[in-house]
Amino acid sequence: MKKGLEETLDDLYEIEGVEACILYRIDGVPITLRAHGYKEHLLETMFWLEKQIKNVLWGMNKEGLANTIFYFRNNRILISPSSKSTILVTITGGEANQQLISLETLRATRIIEECVT
Amino acid sequence: MVKMKNERVPTGIYGLDDLMGGGFRENTINVIRGGTGVGKTTIALQHSLNAIDHGEKILFISFEMSEKQILRDCIDIGWDDIKNHIEKKNLKIIHIFGEDLTFPSLDLAEMIKTSLPPNCKRVVIDPLTYPTFYSDKENRKSLSTIFQELRKVGTSLIVIEEPANGTDNISAMPLFLADTVIHLQNLGFGELYDRTLRITKHRGSKHGDSLYPYSIETGLGVVVQASEKQIERVMPKNKFDALFNDAIEKTRNKGAIGERLSKKIRVLQKNWTRDEDPSSVLRLVLREESKNK
Repeated sequence: MKKGLEETLDDLYEIEGVEACILYRIDGVPITLRAHGYKEHLLETMFWLEKQIKNVLWGMNKEGLANTIFYFRNNRILISPSSKSTILVTITGGEANQQLISLETLRATRIIEECVT
Repeated sequence: MVKMKNERVPTGIYGLDDLMGGGFRENTINVIRGGTGVGKTTIALQHSLNAIDHGEKILFISFEMSEKQILRDCIDIGWDDIKNHIEKKNLKIIHIFGEDLTFPSLDLAEMIKTSLPPNCKRVVIDPLTYPTFYSDKENRKSLSTIFQELRKVGTSLIVIEEPANGTDNISAMPLFLADTVIHLQNLGFGELYDRTLRITKHRGSKHGDSLYPYSIETGLGVVVQASEKQIERVMPKNKFDALFNDAIEKTRNKGAIGERLSKKIRVLQKNWTRDEDPSSVLRLVLREESKNK
């Protein structure tokens, strides 16, 4: 069951242009992440995410949004709820194929939902 | 006298020892903290019964449930053996009210000393309800006194109830006095990562730092379900041995400093659990140490 979840993140992470993908719990606690070693700008983004996940979700819920995109510097941050208690965040670089990554993120959220419920 | 050998005490919780380098350390204070209904008492009882199965004796101090209630709960979860353990005096349950203690630190430490069955090296306290016990000024000293006495006895498991109305009280608790802190949470959505366990502290030992899902199973108790990858992350890796050996080689001809440094690198090698190449860390250490020539 959990192997499916880890593999799903591995698959998403292997797509060219994905710098990191992180599965958060709705209280902002990271469950698992994939990232290439130490990168200062990613750390800054992750600190921000940990603090803001709750607020972003509240806003998304209020507005009825399926996902939300933030742009930080050269990064695109796609926030997609994956179940009642989990959120998938995909961080991509400027040159990444955003359409493909959005579709793959959506696919991943469905698998994650199956895994955790 | 506190033993210096680094022996491990199995936690008795399925799936947890692998994440904690084999379990609790001898003569330590291990705290389980969490809100209502996360399974703290189950862990306390599971740990106690497992220790008894391994030939230990347990002093169980309950500030909430009477012996009768504990027996009933154990029988309900399928741990009927508890009756025999009490009869054979392998398990001694003491039920007291925190409010009845005049000087908590002294009273509790004294009570533990006088109540310990012969050859008993394990104490479980469920729960050490903090606000009932201490004034702000005395909290650290009181807790420190209790912990010092408990370390002399052996290995202790202490359950701490987190207040339901937020984290104000718990944040004031000097948890840094404990050797191990395990935090249990339950968000209540019924999903895999709702019931989670996190090892926030495990002094002097490598431990997993992920969020681990767990369940409470009738008959078994608490079962921590870390994924293979999560377990792999806490296992020492020997694929970088050549790099470590190379670094150790570079410490030669540096006299006493080199010897001490090679010792440190060997310890690091034994405990290197990360998948990342240790080259940059080794380079940094060698460079810094060469400055101290």
